[in-house]
Order: sequence, then structure tokens, then C-alpha cells
Amino acid sequence: MKKNVLLFMVLSAFILSGCKDGKSKLYIFNWSYYIPDTVLEGFEEEFNTKVVYDVFESNEEMFAKLRAGGTGYDITFPSGDYASIMINEGMVAKVNRDLVPNLKNIDENIIRKIKYDPIMDYSIPYMMGTAGVAVNTKFIKDFPKDFSIFEREDFKGRMTLLDDMREVIGSALASLGYSVNSVNESELRQAKEVVLKWKKNILKFDSASFGKGFASGEFWVVNGYAENVFLELDEDTIKDVLYFIPKNGGTMYLDSMVILKDSKNVELAHQFINYIHRPEVYAQIADYLMLPSINVEARKIVKEIPTYTIEDLANNEFKEDLGSNIELWDKIWQEIRVQN
Amino acid sequence: MRTNSGINKRQISLVVFVSVILFFYIPLLVLILYSFNSGKTMVWRGFSLQWYEELFFHSSDLWSAFRSSLIVALSSSFIATAIGTIGGIGIHWYKFKWKKYLQIVTYLPLIMPEIIIGVSLLIMFAWLKWKMSLFTIFLAHTTFNIPFVLLIISSRLDEFDYQIIEAAHDLGAKEIDTLLKVIIPMSIPGIISGFLMSMTLSLDDFVITFFVSGPGSSTLPLHIYSMINRGVFPVINALSTVLIAGTVLLSVSSKNIQKYMFK
Amino acid sequence: MKKINYGKIYTAPLTMWITFFFVIPTSIIFLYSFLKKKLRGGVLWEFSIDGYTALINQSFFKVVWFTVVISIFATFLTLLLAIPTSYFIARSKRKNLYLFLVIVPFWTNFLIRIFAWISILGNNGFLNNMLLSLGIIKSPLMLLYNQYAIIVVTVYTYLPYAILPLYSTIEKFDFSLLEAARDLGASKLQSLFKIFLPGIRSGIMTATIFTFIPALGSYAIPLLVGGQKSFMIGNLIARELKVTMNWPLASSMSVVLTVVTTIGIFIFLNTNKNKSELKNEN
Repeated sequence: MKKNVLLFMVLSAFILSGCKDGKSKLYIFNWSYYIPDTVLEGFEEEFNTKVVYDVFESNEEMFAKLRAGGTGYDITFPSGDYASIMINEGMVAKVNRDLVPNLKNIDENIIRKIKYDPIMDYSIPYMMGTAGVAVNTKFIKDFPKDFSIFEREDFKGRMTLLDDMREVIGSALASLGYSVNSVNESELRQAKEVVLKWKKNILKFDSASFGKGFASGEFWVVNGYAENVFLELDEDTIKDVLYFIPKNGGTMYLDSMVILKDSKNVELAHQFINYIHRPEVYAQIADYLMLPSINVEARKIVKEIPTYTIEDLANNEFKEDLGSNIELWDKIWQEIRVQN
Repeated sequence: MRTNSGINKRQISLVVFVSVILFFYIPLLVLILYSFNSGKTMVWRGFSLQWYEELFFHSSDLWSAFRSSLIVALSSSFIATAIGTIGGIGIHWYKFKWKKYLQIVTYLPLIMPEIIIGVSLLIMFAWLKWKMSLFTIFLAHTTFNIPFVLLIISSRLDEFDYQIIEAAHDLGAKEIDTLLKVIIPMSIPGIISGFLMSMTLSLDDFVITFFVSGPGSSTLPLHIYSMINRGVFPVINALSTVLIAGTVLLSVSSKNIQKYMFK
Repeated sequence: MKKINYGKIYTAPLTMWITFFFVIPTSIIFLYSFLKKKLRGGVLWEFSIDGYTALINQSFFKVVWFTVVISIFATFLTLLLAIPTSYFIARSKRKNLYLFLVIVPFWTNFLIRIFAWISILGNNGFLNNMLLSLGIIKSPLMLLYNQYAIIVVTVYTYLPYAILPLYSTIEKFDFSLLEAARDLGASKLQSLFKIFLPGIRSGIMTATIFTFIPALGSYAIPLLVGGQKSFMIGNLIARELKVTMNWPLASSMSVVLTVVTTIGIFIFLNTNKNKSELKNEN
């Protein structure tokens, strides 16, 4: 009995030790591996706060979570299509631009491309990029530099595609020369056939572990975000990697920071956004992710050469909100996923 | 002839038993072994404790998820045991109007696929516009723990004689006294088993929790899931080893736990 | 003086809890399955059978079929391993030690157990590395991310749940019955199928239910070890809820899963009842 009491006391002490301080908390809901810990720690220290950080792997997942009782987050990072949906649905709070003076650092050429929120009333751009393909050249010597690599049966079982219909069907549409935002049923049907050809050779649809799996040699060809792949590589393995963006175009995204309507910490959220666009902070992020900086001042101080430049994305197309046509996409994606 | 067949049956069952034990333990042993590997992959590169260092000193999220798990497990097991015990006593010895309804409905969660419970609670909470948090996880866990407590309590109650209670009444004991001084003390072993079972189920649950968790309310299984999903492998090996060791130590060190769990 | 009904008082918290957190939510699912979907989550309060008509297509049937087949296979394998194992434990002299050996994996976290198999079966997993270094194979075998991996992991996960109830019935089984049967001239197989298995029927039943139902509702196992062609009903439901946000469809699928489960249990209980009736007539 004594032993049990002791055990109980140890447990209670452990539980209670976690609820010490009355610090304010900032709840952030973000893509996995999208902000370096050092940046978050810097923010915690400077603003004497605690960042609670949860992650998601697709826009859809983030949106569904927010819709079904996932309230309580202050900031999230939707891509353009979902930023526009969330603005239309009244889920985000208006940004007080006076509290975010560092907005002036953001590249105007990029702001000009935002159709859904042209003057950054609701969403502040964070990062621009694309989901290309990473290839392990140690195992694979000769291959086409576009999505037809997924048709190669000799790499069967060593390849993964993202578990994200906008990316995968979008890439298939682009490979056929159609718009990545097509809502034309026959174009989508053709794209489905293309994806099914790829599906035969892939191991799984994966948006979470492809980076680590690629680095460990489990997967040789992965479709995914460059930063997730390169973050996992060390100096030894990095020379064996080729990351390409298909020349015939594909999807791209501009992820933005939005403050959610039910945020309880609006002021802190503004401070966070402003902090992110401080040049030295943004440069840290760009270096960590090895992505092109959209912050003009930060470009002058970044140390790493990004995996690709904004110019490399010339042929790529932003994903846009498809409205109710999303149902057609859902249907086709489901057919792709369950077909054996 | 007969002795021969006896040996046959014995041998077959021995072979199956040994294979089952190997089947159970080889995967766990592999995890334990590779938690000491200095490389990141499943290729052996030499002994190292680096993943334990990572686990104990650089995984604060994991430990806060563990803390959340403990909070939920303790509170939900406590409430489920209280509700289940007193309810079990009521169902077992009394007649009342909705008894039949209760007897059927309370056992349904036991045979319903977990995912249905998760989905239905998610939809209801969303409909009521409740915020997902540790509290909603607590509600869900209490819900699936109650039937197990009931099951254990009623099998315990089956074992003893109603006459004892009648005797207590005849001797002038009030209902509340009978409950507190006779019935509950007699059910203690059942209550403890029920509590331990609830703790185990609650600490282990992934599917239901996955549906009803909210901002910053990751439990340990959710955290492990995200680690597996994102491929943070060697640290999970170390964590597994610690958890397995903890389980074994806890059950070996306390004869009581063994007694209650084997029943 | 009117006698107070303490039964009602004792069961009041239980009744309220189960009603509010189980009966009402499951009823809501049923209700939602007959409503119209709202684009991007939620429902419109209009009657509609869209949730069900959307199920009438080949791909959904395929998934249901796949789920049922996997679950049957896994359950069958589990029983095949669990019955002799429990028999051995029940007849041995070191019951407690052996039971303890079964319970440790049962106590080990569910996800950790899945993870153990990922690290064994992966392309660069333990098994492939072993076979490669021993020179038995030249290139890694594809062991993970297919339906066999789902079955193996399902068996691994639910085997303890099957062994424990089987053990407790076998322990109570009167083995002198078998001797009697042999004395009366029954063959080995006869005594196994006519005396032993019917005798431990309740244990087999519990074991089956504890394996088959969770297997039907699998979500995490196919997700983590299933690869690209292994969608089970649970994954489909979760997808409709968490990605496409078609709540009526998620609800109607949940209703279907519940119905399939109930039918499964019903068929099983019934065949068992018939068997036991037959036995009584004999």
C-alpha cells in the first residue's frame, strides 16, 4: 500500500510540475518542419511567452480541424487557395498593419500576384514554393526530369507521392498541359489515368515521412517539399540528391500567416508576424528551409543558396480555390485512392 | 496409442506457444537493441546512448504529451470507476424501470468499433461548438472506460451473496451504511482491477483521442503517432525501450498489480 | 412510508453519462447520415439520402470487401495461434509466468507495437538487412506497405486479447471428458471437434469478437503499414471527416460499418447457438 501511495505522489508531482507559470501562450498551427526551433525560442524569450505548436500535413487537414472544434489557435499558415477560402468564410481576423511595420520588407512583385487579398488585409505571405521531386542519384542514374519518372517500373516500391490531391492531380494536369486549377471533367479524368499509372509504382501516398524516408535510403524518388527533404540530409548524403521542378510546370503555393477570428491573443499574434518578417529572423528561416526569400531585406543576409529560385517557378501556377468544384476533385481523388 | 496422442497434442501446442512468444518478443527486442544503435537507420553502427540523451533532454514536447496522458488517464479512470462501480451495484441488485435499457446500452461501446465512438463524439462536440481540449479527451476516455469497469465490477458482484446485504438491512443498517461499510469494501478488488484496466486503456488509446483532441492537447499516443508518421525513428526506439522497461518493472515490482490484472 | 428505489439513484450517473456521451452521439450520426452536406463541413438541415446513394459505387464496395476479407483472415489466424497457445498455458505448471509473458506485449503501447513491425519489415528494415548481409537475397524484399503487413500487424495486436479469454475457458474445461470420449472410441479429430472446441465455445466467441470487431474498424494499422492500396472502411470514414469534410457521407459510412459489425456478431452468435443446440439434442 505504501508503495502505491508513493507512486501516486510521484505521479502527481510530475503532473503538477507542468502547470507552473502564468505566462501568456501563443497557439500556432503550422506545417511540420516549417519554422526552425531557434526562431520560436527567440520569440519566446524576447516576448516572455510560450509558443504552443501543433502541426498538420495538408491544407485540408488543417481546415477540417479548425472547423470541427479545433478552436483556440491564434495563427495558422494556409496556402493561397485555403487562405482565400478562410477569408471568404469569415474565419480570419483583419490584420492591423500598423502593428506589423516589417511588412514593408516583403517583395512587392509577390504581393502583386495575390488575387484573393491584394493589400494584405487578412493574410501576410510567409513562404513561396513548390512540391517538386527529389531523386537519390546514388541509386538512380538516368531518369526523366519530370513526373513521368513515376512511370518507371524499375523504381517500383521506392517512390512516394504526396497525400494531397491538389498537388498530385495538379501535377498530372500540368504534365498534360492543362491548368492545375482545371475543373473540366474530361481533363480531370485524363489526369486520373495518369495518376493511376504513377500509383502502380509508388509505395505509398505520404506527406509526412517522405523526407526522413528519403534520407535513410528507404525511398529513392519522392514527390514533396524541398525543405522537408533537405532538412534531413547531412553533408555526406546531400551530394547524391537531385531536386527538380518539372520544366512543363506544375503547382506552386504562397503560404500566408493568418490570425484566426477567435484568437485570444491578437496583439501577440501581430507581434509574432512582425517578428517573422524581421530581416535577420526571416533570413534564419530561409536558410533553414533553403527556400527563396520573399523578404527583400533578408535576401541581403541569407547565407545558404536556396534549392530553387523564384525564377525557377516561372512556369508554375498558383493553386486557387475551386469553389464547389472541389467535390468533383474529391470524387476523382477517392477513385484514385481506392482503386487497386 | 493414447499416450502417444497426448504427447502429440502437447508437442503441437508447445511449438505454437514457443512461436507465439517469439512472435511477440522478437519485434520488441529488435526495438530495444536498435535503441542503442549510433546510426539513424536499421543498420548497426555501434553502441551509443545518444537517442536516450535526445529522449530525456531534448524532447520536452514528448514529456508534456506524457503528462497530458497521465492527467487524462487518472481523471477518466477515477470518474469511470466511480460511476461504473455504483452503477454496477445498482444494476446488479435492484429492479427499476430502465434497467433493461441500461444493461443493453452500457455494453454496446464494448463491441462497437472504436472509430465509431471517435467519429460520433467529434460530430457531437462540433455540433455543440465545444472546444476540443484535454477535457473532451477526458469525456471520451471516461465513456469507453465505464463499460469495462461495469464488466469487471459485475463479475465481482456475481461472486458474493445477496444474503449478506439482507442481513445488514435486517440488523438495521441504513442503505448508505450498507453501501459504504459492506458492499464497497467487498468490491475493492473489483474496483482496483477496474481502475487499473481503465488506466491501461486510457494510456493506450489512439483512435478515439485522435478525433477529439484539440490545440496543444497531444497525448503520448498522439505524439508517438506523429513521430512515426514523420519518421523520427531512433528516438521512438529509445522511448519504446523505456516504456517496455517501465511496464515490466511496474508489474514485477508490485504483486498487487499482477493479482488484479490477471483476474 | 414509500420505499426509495436506490437502484435508480445508483444508476443515475451511469444512465446520464452513457446517454449523453454514447447514445446521443451515435444517434446524431444516424441523423446526420440523412442530411445534406454543406460545402466545407457541417450539414444543411434538409432530408437527403445523398449520404447513402454516394455509397452505391464500385469503389466503396471494394473497400468494404477488402476490410471484411482482411478482418476474417486476421481473426482466423489469431484463433489458430491463440487456441494452442492458451491450451499450452492452461495445461502447464507455470501458468503465471506464461500469462505474464502474454500480458507484457498487451501492455506495450499499441503504436509502439505497430512501429516495431515497421522497423522490421521496411525496405531498409531489420529483416531485409539481415537477409542481405547473410546473402540470402540480392535486393530488399517488399514486405511493408501491403495487405499482408496489415494482417500480420493486426494479428500481433489482437493476439493477447484472444489468448486471455481462451485461457480462462480452457482452464475451466474438464479434460476428463476427452478421455471419456476416447474410451468410447472417438478418434483424435472427433474428440477435438466434437468435445474440446464446443466445450470452449464461449472463449472462442469472446476471442473472435475481440479480434474481428477492432479489425473491421481498423484505422491506424492500414494507415501506417498499409501503403498505397490498402484503404479500409475506417480510413475512408476518417478521410471524409478530416479531409473532404463530407459529414453526411462519413456518417452513412459509420452507419454501414456499425451494421456490418452487428451482422457479423449476429451471424457468429447464431451459428454458435445452432451448434450448441445440436449438441444438446445429441
